[in-house]
Amino acid sequence: MITTATTDTPTATTAAAPPAPAAAAAASAAPELPPGLALQKVDERIMTLNVGPQHPGSGHMRIIVQIDGDHIVACDPDPGYVHRGEEKMAEYRNYITNIPHLERPVIHDSCNILYPYVLGVEELLGIETPERAKYVRVIAAELNRCIYTMYWLAIYGIFLGHSTMFMWPAGDRELLIDLMEKMTGARVTHAHFVPGGVRNDLPPNFEDVCLRQVNYFEKRIKEYADIFYDNPILISRTRETGVLSRQDAIRLGTTGSVLRASGVDYDVRKKEPYDVYDELDVNTNVMTAGDSYARSRVPWLDMMESCNIIRSALEKIPKSGSVRVKLKPNPKGGNDTVYKRVESGRGALGCYIVSDGKPEPYRVKMSVGSFRNLIALPYLLKGEKLGNMPAVYWSLNYWPVEADR
Amino acid sequence: MKTATGIIRALNSGVKHLAVKRFTLRYPEEKLEFVGDGYQFDPSTGVGIAGLKGRHMLFHDHCTGCQLCSIACEGVAEAIGMVKVPEEQKQNKKSIMPQIDYGKCVFCGLCVDACPFYALYMTNDYELSSFSKEGLIYTPAQLAVKPYVRQDSSIQITERGATHG
Repeated sequence: MITTATTDTPTATTAAAPPAPAAAAAASAAPELPPGLALQKVDERIMTLNVGPQHPGSGHMRIIVQIDGDHIVACDPDPGYVHRGEEKMAEYRNYITNIPHLERPVIHDSCNILYPYVLGVEELLGIETPERAKYVRVIAAELNRCIYTMYWLAIYGIFLGHSTMFMWPAGDRELLIDLMEKMTGARVTHAHFVPGGVRNDLPPNFEDVCLRQVNYFEKRIKEYADIFYDNPILISRTRETGVLSRQDAIRLGTTGSVLRASGVDYDVRKKEPYDVYDELDVNTNVMTAGDSYARSRVPWLDMMESCNIIRSALEKIPKSGSVRVKLKPNPKGGNDTVYKRVESGRGALGCYIVSDGKPEPYRVKMSVGSFRNLIALPYLLKGEKLGNMPAVYWSLNYWPVEADR
Repeated sequence: MKTATGIIRALNSGVKHLAVKRFTLRYPEEKLEFVGDGYQFDPSTGVGIAGLKGRHMLFHDHCTGCQLCSIACEGVAEAIGMVKVPEEQKQNKKSIMPQIDYGKCVFCGLCVDACPFYALYMTNDYELSSFSKEGLIYTPAQLAVKPYVRQDSSIQITERGATHG
């Protein structure tokens, strides 16, 4: 911080002193402040700018930026405008009725945000999931990851003033949303995963439709190279802006595509495989530059990897079998704690559940990728131009609602 | 030079799409086709049947007034209330049936999972707008009507691209 805070609150001794004319004059010069407030000396050159919370670019959060001319000297991200108390709400509902509201923070990626909770509850209740259900879950999770990333990419396009890149991903997303609609019965907020499997089996003829639409989807996203990723205008705006080095990325605790763009090969699907990811071939995409361009390119490459995973899962899925274990109406967990982690569209997503033997969990804590990536923002924006702020901010793969929960 | 070719390639990529058929759907005239008749649940196996989670449908000759759907909705949306119905069914001694408030319903389908008597299903009807809040409250008599839906458009993928047709 450039500005220095000085406390001008009158002390107790001056307040107790008899009112001399000189002291009264001094008191009128310095305004009396209520306790706890402080005056801040402001530099003449520095201007404080509030970006958000209603700004369409910042997305329900405020970034307090201090600028010197066109250069950012300090930045203070201020999340919390869409806090919904999901974790507290989870303590008053049983393990099944928690499902519809716990997926609300990221409605585009609702399968992935529910995944660690469902895995954790399965371990608490000691349920063995059928093999076919695990494959169905992996397909749903990968489709959801692509749907989320396409939405993120559309907004990244419009942030950089590239209207075509807003229209194309928003349209091509429809191919996958149609698949999710056939599979789960809802376009967003599917409520599809439950402890012990998934709600319903795949519809008839789904494998063929899925393969056809995913193949076409992959062909479409490869066309984005010419218009967006190899476009010199985009490269000039994003390359070497907001560089996050490998050491800083690890030290700040970033995760997901931000970490992989800085040269760290870390993916939960590969390092700690859950469900059937160990039977599928998962490759990670790593770039070493660590700038906004690398951070925007890695999710795009990840989408192609997701298409490969969906194709191999469709090949290996058992053709018949149950997809859901029958549970008791109000299942109870023992005195136990469990922590499960999955890779979401925004990075590692963990869920910590404490059970005390009641039908409701004692505590549900979600550790989300968005919030961990946001921590890097003040370090990345220091010294950048104000015009580069959207390019750096949205490249962090940040979703305000998920960070606030 | 490299910059110039890059921009020309980007423009070319966009211009090529002038010849491609439109992908979007003319919504009120065309409607997307869904699999099946809506989300259903088979209590004997404990697995659902894939379908759209739209407006509910209530079978009066199956409903016993057991309130399990209402209890399932308690922690989710509190959209289901049990009301008296004038008709007398022999399996429904108390003559109470669910009434659903679509101003609150989140369409998760947990009430369908809770019904052990094949009485509550979901349908493909998703057009539920109303001018008043009261208009969104569906009584058991309204829920018993099978909705008329005309949905026949689906995604077609050809060599030249994808369209809705």
